Amino acid sequence: MAVYRRGYHRYQGRIMGRWARFLVLPRFSWKKLFRQRLVVLLMVVSVIWPLLCAGFIYLTNHADLLKGLPREFQSFIEVNGKFFLVFMNTQAFFAIFLSALIGPGLIAPDLANNALQLYFSRPLTRPEYALSRLAVLFGVLSLITWVPGLLLFGMQVGMAGSWWFRANWTLSLGIVAGFAIWVLLVSMVALASSAYVRWKIIAGALVMGFFFILSGVATMINGVFRVTWGHALNPAWAANAVWRTLLSVEPIEGPGAAACALVLAGIILLLALVLERKLRPVEVIK
Amino acid sequence: MTAPAVVFDEVSKFYGEVLGVNRVTLNIPPGITSLVGPNGSGKTTLMNLMTGLIHPDHGSIRMRGISPRDPENLMRITGYATQYDAAPRWATGFSFITTGLLLFGCGRAEAEEKAWKALERLGLTDAAHRKVAAYSKGMRQRVRLAQAIAHEPELLVLDEPLNGLDPLVRAETIALFRSWAAQGRHVILSSHVLQEVDVISDQVVLIANGMIVAEGEIRNVRDEIHEHPSQFIVRCSDASNLAASLFSEDHITEIKVNDDRLSLLVMTRDRERFARALGRFAGDGHRIDSVIPADENVDALYEYLIGGDK
Repeated sequence: MAVYRRGYHRYQGRIMGRWARFLVLPRFSWKKLFRQRLVVLLMVVSVIWPLLCAGFIYLTNHADLLKGLPREFQSFIEVNGKFFLVFMNTQAFFAIFLSALIGPGLIAPDLANNALQLYFSRPLTRPEYALSRLAVLFGVLSLITWVPGLLLFGMQVGMAGSWWFRANWTLSLGIVAGFAIWVLLVSMVALASSAYVRWKIIAGALVMGFFFILSGVATMINGVFRVTWGHALNPAWAANAVWRTLLSVEPIEGPGAAACALVLAGIILLLALVLERKLRPVEVIK
Repeated sequence: MTAPAVVFDEVSKFYGEVLGVNRVTLNIPPGITSLVGPNGSGKTTLMNLMTGLIHPDHGSIRMRGISPRDPENLMRITGYATQYDAAPRWATGFSFITTGLLLFGCGRAEAEEKAWKALERLGLTDAAHRKVAAYSKGMRQRVRLAQAIAHEPELLVLDEPLNGLDPLVRAETIALFRSWAAQGRHVILSSHVLQEVDVISDQVVLIANGMIVAEGEIRNVRDEIHEHPSQFIVRCSDASNLAASLFSEDHITEIKVNDDRLSLLVMTRDRERFARALGRFAGDGHRIDSVIPADENVDALYEYLIGGDK
């Protein structure tokens, strides 16, 4: 029976914008994530340090409270690039833990259930799917990284006044850019692990292992070859070197910020390639 | 008026060195089309190519005029139910389908309305707010179908859609397919249940080892198979007598008379001459009650063209 009669109507209703559609997946993931007690607990723990930093800012801006302290200590507790570097280093570790907890649940279950076909049977491309998963991590990690960083910066500006802002406004850019690099790196590690290993616990361990193993490898290279460039292979060290430049803090001995930034970009690119290889709707087993 | 078709032009797909499909040329008109072939023959590869989940190494595909490389437009008119039970178990049937519709770009209220409609069509209204994890196999199959039809696509691609359905739901689902096909939509499905394919299909595509063995309406395909004589079951009042008469015809290759002597299975190399001969015998006084083609079905085509191993 050949049918040449058209008895149906194509959908003529309003279609939401591309961004509204793109945010459907992150929205559902966030909703699901914040139902997990462990995630909420780690988030709460992750904001303790920013709260302490806020207290520190309050203290430094109230001269009367500092009167009784020694002069050396008074000059030490200053809100500057170093202060934000310490803040960023601490939050960076929480970001690793949080991504190790959240990341594995983002892609691994979809791969295990062959659900990618289901996603890609919608007006959703592979890059959009990967970006939506990245957005989940980026959103959550932002809450413990650059968002509190900017709040602290704003708090300091509010308390110290406009002279402080004029003298240190580049710090805000450094905080955002520095954390953006770190959050992107950590998220990509978590997504690649999740895409590579379908068992969530192993994928989480892989995220932690990535940072610790590379740190060990870097130390080993430096020790064996009596060099310092091995530090660049340690993502935490490399990020720290970049942050120091962004926050105008004196650099530490080792590869420069540009070299470290290049290595970090290389790692992110490699992780993107892993995702490109693994995020396929049809898996070919050879 | 030319109906929009699903067109494959010399399409080949290789998975490394493994052949997926090879030089496939198809022109599928609207209606129900079944892809039939043994396991690993390339049915799912064809479906994945249709939906743009994989792209051909050679050749081109147009799905009702849209390239599968344009998912933004193709997926608006396409519904795909894969063979996998991929619905997230933590989601309810309703939230699963609603989320899918939100991804299509429907507003929240409209998505919910369409989700209810789809669930109702598949008889899942009562279970809409239960988690997919609590669904039976048949219900999960139905929710898979519901997500494929929820956005009212004009091109439905369904991988083994009738598996796991109980007879009642199966009949209702087939009726749904029919109504969709009758509206000028494409319903392309794969199935191993050949009797079912036979009943529901407007046309079949037989595929083996990644190559198209036959394509078209079942009867036309059967007509093209000359090496196998056509088989007919003839019910009559005196089978032995009719068999004796038929044996005088040179196109008759074999006749089997049933034990009840009221029917016989006739094999002929020329359907036209067989029909004329029967008319003649009827005129001569043989009482012929019915003539039914015995191998104008997918089962027979499968056996002739692909082999007995289904």
